[in-house]
Amino acid sequence: MLKINNLKANVDKKIILNGFNLEIKAGEVHAIMGPNGSGKSTLSNILSGKKGYDVTGEILFENKNLFELETEERAHKGIFLAFQYPLEIPGVNTNIFLKTSLNSIRKARGEKELDALEFLKIVKEKSKELKFDEEKLGRQLNVGFSGGEKKKNEILQMSILNPKLSILDETDSGLDIDALKIVASGVNSLRKKSNAFLIITHYQRLLDYIKPDFVHVLIDGKIKKSGGPELALELESKGYENIN
Amino acid sequence: MEDKIKIEFDKAFKNYSSNDELNFKKNNLEYFIKNGFPGRKLESWKFSDLNQIINKNIGELNFFTDLKKEISTNKNYITKDIDHNKIAFINGILEEVDFSFEDKDKIIISKEVDTSTKINSENSLLNLNNAFCKNFYKITIPQNYSMNKPLIIYHVSTDNLSSTTLNSQLNFILEENSSLKIIDIYDDKSEKNFINTFYNFILKENAILKNYKIDKSQNSNIKYSYNNIDQSKDSISETFILSNGSKFLKNEINCNLKGQYSSAFINGVFSLDSDKHHEIRTSINHLVENTKSYQLIKSVLDDKSKSVYQGKIYVSPDAQKTDGYQLSKCILLDKNTEFNAKPELEIYADDVKCSHGSASGSLNENSIFYLRSRGLNYKQAKKLLISGFFLDVIEKITDEEIKNFIKKIMELNQ
Amino acid sequence: MDEKNLNIIKDYKYGFSTDIENVKAPKGLNEDVIRFISNIKKEPKWLLDWRLKAYKRLKVLKEPDWQKPKYPKINYQDLYYYSAPKNFSEKPKKLEDLDPKLLETYKKLGIPLDEQKRLNGIAVDAVFDSVSVATTFKDTLTKHGIIFCSISEAVQKHPDLVKKYLGTVIPITDHYFATLNSAVFTDGSFVYVPEGVRCPMELSTYFRINASDTGQFERTLIIADKGSYVSYLEGCTAPMRDENQLHAANVELIALDDAEIKYSTVQNWYPGDKDGKGGIYNFVTKRGLCKGNNSKISWTQVETGSAITWKYPSCILKGDNSIGEFYSIAITNNHQKADTGTKMIHLGKNTKSKIISKGISAGLSDMTYRGLVDISPNAENSNNYTQCDSLLMGNKCGAHTIPYIKNKNSNSNIAHEATTSKISEDQLHYCQQRGLNPEEAVGLIVNGFCKEVLQQLPMEFAVEAQKLVGISLEGSVG
Repeated sequence: MLKINNLKANVDKKIILNGFNLEIKAGEVHAIMGPNGSGKSTLSNILSGKKGYDVTGEILFENKNLFELETEERAHKGIFLAFQYPLEIPGVNTNIFLKTSLNSIRKARGEKELDALEFLKIVKEKSKELKFDEEKLGRQLNVGFSGGEKKKNEILQMSILNPKLSILDETDSGLDIDALKIVASGVNSLRKKSNAFLIITHYQRLLDYIKPDFVHVLIDGKIKKSGGPELALELESKGYENIN
Repeated sequence: MEDKIKIEFDKAFKNYSSNDELNFKKNNLEYFIKNGFPGRKLESWKFSDLNQIINKNIGELNFFTDLKKEISTNKNYITKDIDHNKIAFINGILEEVDFSFEDKDKIIISKEVDTSTKINSENSLLNLNNAFCKNFYKITIPQNYSMNKPLIIYHVSTDNLSSTTLNSQLNFILEENSSLKIIDIYDDKSEKNFINTFYNFILKENAILKNYKIDKSQNSNIKYSYNNIDQSKDSISETFILSNGSKFLKNEINCNLKGQYSSAFINGVFSLDSDKHHEIRTSINHLVENTKSYQLIKSVLDDKSKSVYQGKIYVSPDAQKTDGYQLSKCILLDKNTEFNAKPELEIYADDVKCSHGSASGSLNENSIFYLRSRGLNYKQAKKLLISGFFLDVIEKITDEEIKNFIKKIMELNQ
Repeated sequence: MDEKNLNIIKDYKYGFSTDIENVKAPKGLNEDVIRFISNIKKEPKWLLDWRLKAYKRLKVLKEPDWQKPKYPKINYQDLYYYSAPKNFSEKPKKLEDLDPKLLETYKKLGIPLDEQKRLNGIAVDAVFDSVSVATTFKDTLTKHGIIFCSISEAVQKHPDLVKKYLGTVIPITDHYFATLNSAVFTDGSFVYVPEGVRCPMELSTYFRINASDTGQFERTLIIADKGSYVSYLEGCTAPMRDENQLHAANVELIALDDAEIKYSTVQNWYPGDKDGKGGIYNFVTKRGLCKGNNSKISWTQVETGSAITWKYPSCILKGDNSIGEFYSIAITNNHQKADTGTKMIHLGKNTKSKIISKGISAGLSDMTYRGLVDISPNAENSNNYTQCDSLLMGNKCGAHTIPYIKNKNSNSNIAHEATTSKISEDQLHYCQQRGLNPEEAVGLIVNGFCKEVLQQLPMEFAVEAQKLVGISLEGSVG
């Protein structure tokens, strides 16, 4: 599904990613772990098409060169990024935003756009599953939401948009244990043979609830080590310095 | 100009009935002739020189028109989206008054106005208005009466009108415990006129005034509108301005909070494109203790347009416990746009809470990115952000029915 | 609170005058006086011509009247435009040659000129009325190629530099007081920091108005050549006199590519007595030009003195990526009036400016922040942040905020915030409960309010300024 070959990225001449390789197949869950400043967020930004990086290398998503696609075209193709810091957008109603988003993606996929009622039905269903307070969807996007609510809103959006590849950028940071469980169960319920997850995290805590197939350690813009779920536990006990 | 204006004045008022009023008009005419159209020398016109604007866009102005009201049989300017009472100014002259939604004989319209209190030599446009406005009408909302439906005041100009000044004026008294909702709608068929509107409101105790000014029809007229609002104890005024359609429009709101616990709210939206130049100037005078004012003005500018917000909060030494707030925000979409602000605080009392803020710049790139990562294209993202930016102001409108009406006009019902 | 403690204004510490014989130009303003000044300073012809040109211009200019503080008409013919201690046609080579009375004066002001007791790491140029009387630390500076001397001396010794830069930031046609200064300026400091040099110490000028009926018109010119850095401090005091004295200085700063100038002022001119009698009219024009790319000019001011202060230290951000900063504390008490602020003119690309202004008014005083932020159409990707806070103490004073904001570039951002408030009863109560007396509490709270600006001052000045903030407000708690 996703193939990253020798990805290098600079910001203001500072090297952030330096020869990053990764392949994700459909049905897999990959976790990328790394210390602060190792390039984790840069990776998710580049995958979603954020400007401001000097990038070389190759990223193929379903054999299509991602660099040729705008941010929204990537979303149409099924890439979803759960932001580390979901933006507050004053004045923009969450429901209206979600409906516009879902319909743009459906339209790009050649599916019928949903009317207000059909949309509401889906939202109701998904909110219930994720224990998301529906009343909040009538409010401005993320404005006045607590940190946990913002993260849950990201997962809700993910489950409504039903992406092929979901990238979770430090979704666990700032969550209490209950919220963490809800987020994890949301992710788990979406796990299918046809889609994949890339979970970016600093701690292995989240991986107690979302079992990854592969764990990669990102240090200085490169994958230093890859392994199964046991690698996350090893990291937890040994720390990043002792990985080689 | 001087000779021309005098001749036209004589022509317009040769058979005027009231001598007092005629003298009043003549005095005002003298003031106007002395001071002329305002220019940059005045602090209140620092960002826009009306003299220049009129010269450039209109050239020589006529001050009098005897165009008749053939349009009044064809009332296609009347909106069907909201039940309303109406007043129509056709080419600056009051042609229709209809309060059919109100209890019979409740709303009192009279012609006499106490002219002795009305001279204001500091504002030459007011002098011009006093001199040339055809009649001084006074509308009184009686004690304890709340209007059932809003009053829409139509400002209509016909397509055969050009290079003329239209001066219209209304005086309102809101007696104790009364309330009035006004929507101003401009319907411009004409081009290149100077349209000068003046409202004077007196709010008695506990009165509530809501005035929504809608400038939506695209036109090449130059407009000036001035609201004076005097407020007694516990009264509330709410003003909303949609500044969009005219070539030039300056709205001035002067609000005197004279009674304790009175409050004033001003919300405005500039949505401009091409080479439009619009301005809002407010002056909120907190004159006694425990008064409150709140102002929120937002601009979105495209092409070569320019918006100006001059907002002043004045707090007199007696006005302790004043709460004054003003915020102006602007999104500049094109490199040829310009936003000017002068948010001014003049404060002489210490126990006050006053603040202002102003922010201007481009559309937030991070927000655009967030929306695009959810599948919206740039155009959709931009539209959504701008709607959201404006909705924040529209949501401040306290009358639900009118709020929806305005949302519809602004096409904000997504 | 104890009533009797309240309304006593502490004596102005610097209010003494020095009894010293002066050489003065004849009273009044005319071409002859200008020639007299130019002649006594042995100036080259170009400079005399330049002065006369300014004077010619002055005759058609009008005194500005838009500023908030109004003042009685100044009789420009009734002022002395030049006053110098006698036998001072030339600055003494050695400190021992200086009139002991002068040394004593500066000692009393806390500015020892004697190098034995010199201030730590600060080179001082002392200006007494119209002339510079001493400059310390010359040798150290010379070693680095830094020129730090009086402007009169610079005219003699470095005429090319003076001619090249004088009047390039504040043209002689600028406005009434700036033009007046150009015609009659007497002395002031000159600084040139050569390419790549980081000035090893703070440079400082100490201005003192002593003579009566004398206007002080100093002129300061600071040039930071490519890649250099200099931090400059200015302090001012004057004796207590009943009449108002005029101080109309011009300060020009020029920063070339990659250069940085930090200019700090602690202005404590005599403010007049508590009934508003006497005091200095401080009408000063200060302007910095970020001429080169990546240059930076930072103004910090603590304005506590003067009967009327009227000044807007400004930055013209011409070079790409240049930065302008303005940090200000202005305090008015009794009958003082201040109308001060800054102008940030963004011309180059990626230019940034920051304005932090703290105004405190007490007593019967009146304080205005007036500022302009102007981002021109070509100043792509520029931004400004402005924060203006006012604190009112008592309800007989005024605090006003008049910002002009002009954004003409869609890629540039301007953010402005302002608040006006008073010291909260809760804060006062809290401090008092912990044992502070009301004046201490106010001092503490006000210093906290000003902290962001005080932090910008060089150490030696910060302590002094902090004390000054407290002293200026004494007697204003009520």
